[in-house]
Amino acid sequence: MWFHGGSDDAPAGNVASPSSEPSSFPVAVEGTSGQVTIAERPQRIVSLSPTATEDLFAIGAGEQVIAVDDQSNFPPEAPATELSGFEPNVEAIAGFEPDLVVFATDPGDLGSSLEGLGITSLQLDAAPTLAVAYEQIEQLGLATGHADQARALVDDMRSEIEGLVDSADPASGTSFYYELDDTFYSVTSKTFIGQLFELLGLENIADEVGRGSGGYPQLSAEYILASDPDLIFLADTKCCGQSLETVSQRPGWHELSAVTRGDVVPLDDDVASRWGPRIVDLMKQISEAADSAGANAA
Amino acid sequence: MSGPEAADRRASAGTSATVIGVALLVVAVLVGLLVGPVRIGAANVLRWLFSFGDAPPGMSEQQALILADLRLPRVIVAGLVGASLAASGAAYQAVFRNPLADPYLLGAAAGAGLGATIAVAYGPSGALELTVPVAAFVGALVGVGLAYGLGRSTLGGRSTTSLVLAGVAVASFLTAVQTFLQQQRSETLRQVYTWILGRLGTTGWDDVRLALPSVVLALATMWAVRRLLDVIEVGDVEAQSLGLNVARLRLVVVIAASLATAAAVAVAGLIGFVGLIIPHTVRLMVGGSYRSVLPLSVLFGASFLIFVDTLARTVVAPAEIPIGVITAFIGAPFFIAVLRRNRRAA
Amino acid sequence: MKLDDRAGVVTALEVRDLSVELGRRRIVSGVRMDVEEGGWVCVIGPNGAGKTTLLHAIAGLLPRSGSVRLWGRPIGELGRRERARTIALVPQLPVIPEGFTVEQYALLGRTPHLGLLASEGPRDLEAVASALERLDLGWAATRRLDTLSGGELRRAVIARAIAQEASLLLLDEPTTGLDIAQQLRVLELVEELRTADGLTVISTMHDLTLAGRFAHRFALLSEGRVVSEGTRAEVLLPHVIAEHYGARVGVIDDGTLGWAVVPLSGPER
Repeated sequence: MWFHGGSDDAPAGNVASPSSEPSSFPVAVEGTSGQVTIAERPQRIVSLSPTATEDLFAIGAGEQVIAVDDQSNFPPEAPATELSGFEPNVEAIAGFEPDLVVFATDPGDLGSSLEGLGITSLQLDAAPTLAVAYEQIEQLGLATGHADQARALVDDMRSEIEGLVDSADPASGTSFYYELDDTFYSVTSKTFIGQLFELLGLENIADEVGRGSGGYPQLSAEYILASDPDLIFLADTKCCGQSLETVSQRPGWHELSAVTRGDVVPLDDDVASRWGPRIVDLMKQISEAADSAGANAA
Repeated sequence: MSGPEAADRRASAGTSATVIGVALLVVAVLVGLLVGPVRIGAANVLRWLFSFGDAPPGMSEQQALILADLRLPRVIVAGLVGASLAASGAAYQAVFRNPLADPYLLGAAAGAGLGATIAVAYGPSGALELTVPVAAFVGALVGVGLAYGLGRSTLGGRSTTSLVLAGVAVASFLTAVQTFLQQQRSETLRQVYTWILGRLGTTGWDDVRLALPSVVLALATMWAVRRLLDVIEVGDVEAQSLGLNVARLRLVVVIAASLATAAAVAVAGLIGFVGLIIPHTVRLMVGGSYRSVLPLSVLFGASFLIFVDTLARTVVAPAEIPIGVITAFIGAPFFIAVLRRNRRAA
Repeated sequence: MKLDDRAGVVTALEVRDLSVELGRRRIVSGVRMDVEEGGWVCVIGPNGAGKTTLLHAIAGLLPRSGSVRLWGRPIGELGRRERARTIALVPQLPVIPEGFTVEQYALLGRTPHLGLLASEGPRDLEAVASALERLDLGWAATRRLDTLSGGELRRAVIARAIAQEASLLLLDEPTTGLDIAQQLRVLELVEELRTADGLTVISTMHDLTLAGRFAHRFALLSEGRVVSEGTRAEVLLPHVIAEHYGARVGVIDDGTLGWAVVPLSGPER
């Protein structure tokens, strides 16, 4: 459940109907590369960012979205195309005659190319913190004429996360290992995902050795074995087919406490790599795992 | 001085090199077992070795586990891979009479890379630990088979040149297919890339079991024919006049070297330059006769790669530098030195 | 080459109708040759006549048509190793393997005597040591091949051939690249070995004077065919040489100085 109707103004239920707010255009919106002016309410939005896609549909702007990139697989009703967010083809994008293009990474001169064609674009880069993630949702709300719904969504997310944080037991000192791929790349608490864990009071074994690695250090099997984390989170279930079973077959890993107790948590790669509304679900999953691990260890 | 006396002199040069080689290997193994993010004292390691794996007092169960399940198999695999690549390089240099021949000459690398890519792209994602090595192994052998077949049949394969050319053609083709596949399935890029650079980070006893039979068989074969490798050094015509079945020897060597190389690539990815550095260094010590060069390449190749692997997991610990990067750093200047030596000699 | 059916004359090599095609060219055509055991036959002829090809075909190294018999046995019947124990080839441009010592090189000559996985025994080492001594290379046993002079290198190759303990020695241009002293030394050594061991020698030579002074019988090969054969007096005649070499020469047989081919000026017009 990734969207709760929480505020009085917003319509209840999963499917949001178009807002009937008074005209709030033109509006100035903050993107990664600066301010963007949106003249009119966009009706033909192309999203090249899976997170932005999730945000747009969550704030009720789904009907204004005409095309999303090939990695935008949530929600299922999002109009998927073969557009690539990694190697954007400006011509292909322009072919949809969008009035707003939202993207996350700009591998070339996507922004300026679109500008050259007279297409308004908004870049919302990977959020480094929760605050920025919330901010992006609100900006998208402004940009699409769903400011109220956006605000409501953010409030919901905030309160849910705060609830989870409050009920987490910071003194438990439960340690964890977060795995990005099967060559033991991990994340430190400086990363977005790492912060979520930190909020819940969990201790990241990669923090000690991750300094100077840009937030994504590579650990070694030995180090992980020696640290013997209480929890193992696998963010490589889709890309690399990892699971409790495969992990327990790694040399020496069968002796890890987390493996013997079954505290190996498979995460959805997609959810773990985005910064949209589903981070709430992610944090719930983490929180539950932490609670059960704490109980197991006790 | 001639006859038995000279033979003795020659033997003693070989003997001292052998002694050095064995000593170096022992040191390499000890260093490999001692070094790692987790500190386990030297005394503990030695006691552990001599008690055949029971944790001696003073060592935790976990430390013993790290030694037994991580470091020991890793050291063994590094040794096997180093020995395989060095011996195969030496053997190829002999049968192709080319000092710059390396184990990947006949398309083994390209075949292995393609096999690994296919496994990553189309294989069951949960079984990658098994499918990638097996696919790489098979791919390497297929690559060599194609090159050998092409060289023999269409390019008038009486000469080594046609085999080498066939190898180049097959390698180019297989690499092109691999690149195309990777473009189609771009999510495979990162995984195949890390594999290609060569790594032993996830090595365990499974890898030992996978590589050991092939490596032992192949090395034994090459060792057995080392005297004949000397004969083939005088060229196909003269070797035949001395009674040697040149084509058969070449085939046997290609099969053995490919088997060893395929096993090495399967468990460790593509590690370059070992097949060049080691045989040439050995030749500097004991001359060009393969009776010495081959066995010593096995010894020194094993030590070399164990040291390099230890370095790879120490320099940026706990992260690891791909082994192929380190051997390239050492190998590139070495390669240039060999080229210059050859040009001066020519 | 007709040999008498005298009692006691053994035909070491009998060649009948030997032809060799390389690519689509016929290099050697219908060669017929008989070589007496213990004799020295020299194959002469202008460049490109096919002398080296003929030698290699006799050694069994090239596909050919026609028959080659060694001591009465067809060469095809002999296995590789037995053939190598019977014929030793000293090539014109031997491949010098890098890093080998003279002794290691000569040891290669023992290859046909060793089983697949065997290594050399004392008998083999003795054979090599003796070969090196006889070729006056005992001092050089542990020297590297690439440190030898031209003449020494040529002797090393011959030592390898002697170590094979073969009965038929094929020498392809044994005097190429050597100075006059080295040339004489090599040929005198071959003569010594021939008489001491009863070797049968077939050589190709471009120097007609040296050929005439050392070999017993001659076969003149021109454009792949034997156009003249016999003794020195029958083959090495000015008009024969003029016809096939296109060179004007004289032949002198001086009492003290011996026999020689003397070049006269310019090509035959």
